[in-house]
Amino acid sequence: MIQTIESGIPGFDQLTVSELAEGGIPEKSTTLIYGPPKTGKSIFCNQFAYQGLLKQEPCLYVSTDQGLKQVQSNMMGFNWLIQSYIQNQTLYIIDGISQLSGAKLEDTNNIKSSSVGNPADMMVKVGIGTRSVYKKSNHFISILDSLNTLFAFNQEQMVIRILKAYLRRIREAGGTGLIAYTEGVTNSDTENELKSLFDNTIRLDGEYIRVESNFEDYEEVKSYESTYIITDEGVVVNGK
Amino acid sequence: MVIKMIPCIESGIPGFEELTRSNGGTGGIPENTATLVYGPAKTGKSIFGNQFTYQGLLSGEPCLYITTDKGLKQFETSMNEFQWPIERYLEDNSLYVIDTISDVSKGKLPKSKTVVQSYINNPTDIMVKVGSGVHYIYRNNPRFRSVIDSATTLLAYNDNMLIIRVLKAYLMRVNEAGGTPIILYTENSADRIVETMLKSLVDNIIRLDGKELVVEAMKGIGKRSSPYLITDKGIEL
Repeated sequence: MIQTIESGIPGFDQLTVSELAEGGIPEKSTTLIYGPPKTGKSIFCNQFAYQGLLKQEPCLYVSTDQGLKQVQSNMMGFNWLIQSYIQNQTLYIIDGISQLSGAKLEDTNNIKSSSVGNPADMMVKVGIGTRSVYKKSNHFISILDSLNTLFAFNQEQMVIRILKAYLRRIREAGGTGLIAYTEGVTNSDTENELKSLFDNTIRLDGEYIRVESNFEDYEEVKSYESTYIITDEGVVVNGK
Repeated sequence: MVIKMIPCIESGIPGFEELTRSNGGTGGIPENTATLVYGPAKTGKSIFGNQFTYQGLLSGEPCLYITTDKGLKQFETSMNEFQWPIERYLEDNSLYVIDTISDVSKGKLPKSKTVVQSYINNPTDIMVKVGSGVHYIYRNNPRFRSVIDSATTLLAYNDNMLIIRVLKAYLMRVNEAGGTPIILYTENSADRIVETMLKSLVDNIIRLDGKELVVEAMKGIGKRSSPYLITDKGIEL
């Protein structure tokens, strides 16, 4: 059986049950979550990260769209309170965008400021961050939300290279990676290349959630589909 | 979609608060979030922006207004058409205008701390002026509004990805200072990739097509729509 971790998304784990896996996000795999703008991708990421935190699984959160303050306030909207996990250092944050607002961020043990337009620096911070969460537990989650801003600030091929390096690091350390991307912000060649880098893809289109998992060791591809809604609990897969 | 109550500010558009009301909430534009208003040409996007600006000024919220389509004089004229006189707010410095069209050397712009010239083809200069504008306004009132009318012209004069970066920086600055920004954009005036990028930058998306106003996305509520008219009071739902 393939080990999975609870997604924290109501209905998702039931949807993804098969003879190979119990349902949930396959452990130590990488997942691309994509779809048109405003379909719940960030909410999904936050929900997954929070579920892990609740079980004291460390999380490396790379935020490139929103500053830490905004991430925190977005999560608070769903009652997902992360302050205590920042304090006890279960949550490690690389904030790649706040510098752009002119705000001064003080780096701490587990909050690092970087710049989305400086991929070399981002990768150094990711390296340090991965080691830090890995030392705590070899079951950790890593979120990257999202690739869009990286694409806006860098050449497409550069972003692909950073992403490959990032995914390699997560895999080597045994982490489970979830990466968000807005469909349509690069050309279709880049988009296809992007999808091919991941073990699983999840597409949200505002109405349907479509999950595709490539279980290489079993030479099987599984796909699942359902409707979903967004409520005050976050994304809810409601199987209609 | 029902999310915990999110504080909203009044849009100034009759009917908009009712349309966007959620359980227990007041409706309006969620405070301190970014909104894109887009649609075909001549559907009332600028009027929406102006109405939003004027409503803020009336309720004592200053506004940072970045105009790339019209000079300050034209902006004033179009506000007057709807009886939204802004002279007073220019005088008391609660309306801060960055004018990227009029030429100050030709005496078209009044000498004022809060009317600043910039250049449509110089995004770096625009960002510097935005920085000092936000700083000036924020000092006087951390609750403020900001409008860019429009991203279309910025995109037309500059490298598109550069403008996406500039707009991202703009939104980050205004949000960090506590303001509520709106960006106006004419549909299909840039390619699809840029348009998708624009939508992914903001929290809320409103589309005007001449007949219907569609709230395509808004923090805390689902998709909603209503027919609208443009009357002498501006946009009315």
